[in-house]
Amino acid sequence: MIALVLIGFGMVALIQIPGLVRKQWWRELICFAVLWLMGLIFSMMVSVGITLPPLTTIINQAITGMFGI
Amino acid sequence: MFLEKGRISNFQLSTLTIGYILGASVVIAPGEGAGHDAWIAIALGLIEGLLIVWIFTALARQFKGKTLVEINSLVYGKILGNFISVFFIWYLFHLGALVLNNYARFFKLELYPATPKTVGIILIMLVCASTVSRGIEVLARCSLILVTFTILTALIDTFLVIRHMDLLNLMPVLDVPLGTLLWTSHSTAIFPFGDTVAFLMILAFINKPEKGRSAICSGLLTAGLVLIIVAVRNAAVLGQMAVTYSYPSYISAQVIDVGDVLTRVEVLVAINMITMGFLKISVVFYGTVLGLAQVFNLRSYRPIILPIGILMVILALTNVSNTAEMFDFANQGYPIYTVPFQIGIPLITLIIAKLRQLPQTGGDQT
Repeated sequence: MIALVLIGFGMVALIQIPGLVRKQWWRELICFAVLWLMGLIFSMMVSVGITLPPLTTIINQAITGMFGI
Repeated sequence: MFLEKGRISNFQLSTLTIGYILGASVVIAPGEGAGHDAWIAIALGLIEGLLIVWIFTALARQFKGKTLVEINSLVYGKILGNFISVFFIWYLFHLGALVLNNYARFFKLELYPATPKTVGIILIMLVCASTVSRGIEVLARCSLILVTFTILTALIDTFLVIRHMDLLNLMPVLDVPLGTLLWTSHSTAIFPFGDTVAFLMILAFINKPEKGRSAICSGLLTAGLVLIIVAVRNAAVLGQMAVTYSYPSYISAQVIDVGDVLTRVEVLVAINMITMGFLKISVVFYGTVLGLAQVFNLRSYRPIILPIGILMVILALTNVSNTAEMFDFANQGYPIYTVPFQIGIPLITLIIAKLRQLPQTGGDQT
């Protein structure tokens, strides 16, 4: 699973980065790199079995608690 | 700076609106909380939905050719405007993940029980990413074909189940308490009708901006009519059991049996769910990447399509623990959670723009 994730992210980087470097779109490259890295970190966490907090459930609990639904 | 060079016609905007509204509502049946009076809740929700559309299209008419991110920058200034825009982009991103999650659950429960949920999510996301990278025109053209097919099949399905319908299942009318009916109609107004606020990222690209409101309203009314027909059909076919099913449209199509030849028609409903879901996810995905590209002042939104898609997939996989929590959120939290995004941001921005007499003609509008 981890190998699949790494291959997938490697492919995404290979598709995007050369074009951005060639055009010298540094701002776009930084934006891409930050989002790509976030995606990689979260994907690795999911693939090694770390449970990420269920955001929607947390939002729902906060709203129902706040408004007493 | 225009990140999108494509232009769509008002008719394409209408069909895109229909597809967008039918997108998730064919999976989570709107008005379900009102039982067999769901059709009344949808009709009432449609009226509130039209009010929401009136507010955000008034904003779009005030700032022709500008997306919400650009409008926010003009009205609130660069820093506060971008801050508010990021909130709105979060809403689009989260909505995309929720719809993806709904579809993955539908795949898992009804179509491919042995296939991991992740596979369905990644496949839909790849198709959406490919469409979004080709721009708004391609998305709008897809909607023309897919929406026509969906409406036709919904009507054919309804026609084929006529002999299984018992209209007495709709009686007594207005059986639910008034409070429940009003809450359900508000839920219906927010989801799916109010979700059309995402079109604030698209209205800038129509070729006749002054007719944008009528295009969205006609789409809203058509989709509302289809939803009412579907709600009546489901209640009439399934009776009291309709509320116990997660996907009543899919179940009601299962009873179709024309001379033992035409059976298993529910697969058409599944195709509708997939195609309309693709449209809805693509619209919010497009809004998310375009909005982020404008906030960060990028020259193109294409470089961030794949990373945003990956993050949306991760959120879709992790945002709820089980199906019951998803339905709880849709019925309880969502109608409140989205009010600031659907009504708050457009209404306050419109009021401030009117007070500040924006946009000023001839002034600096950067």
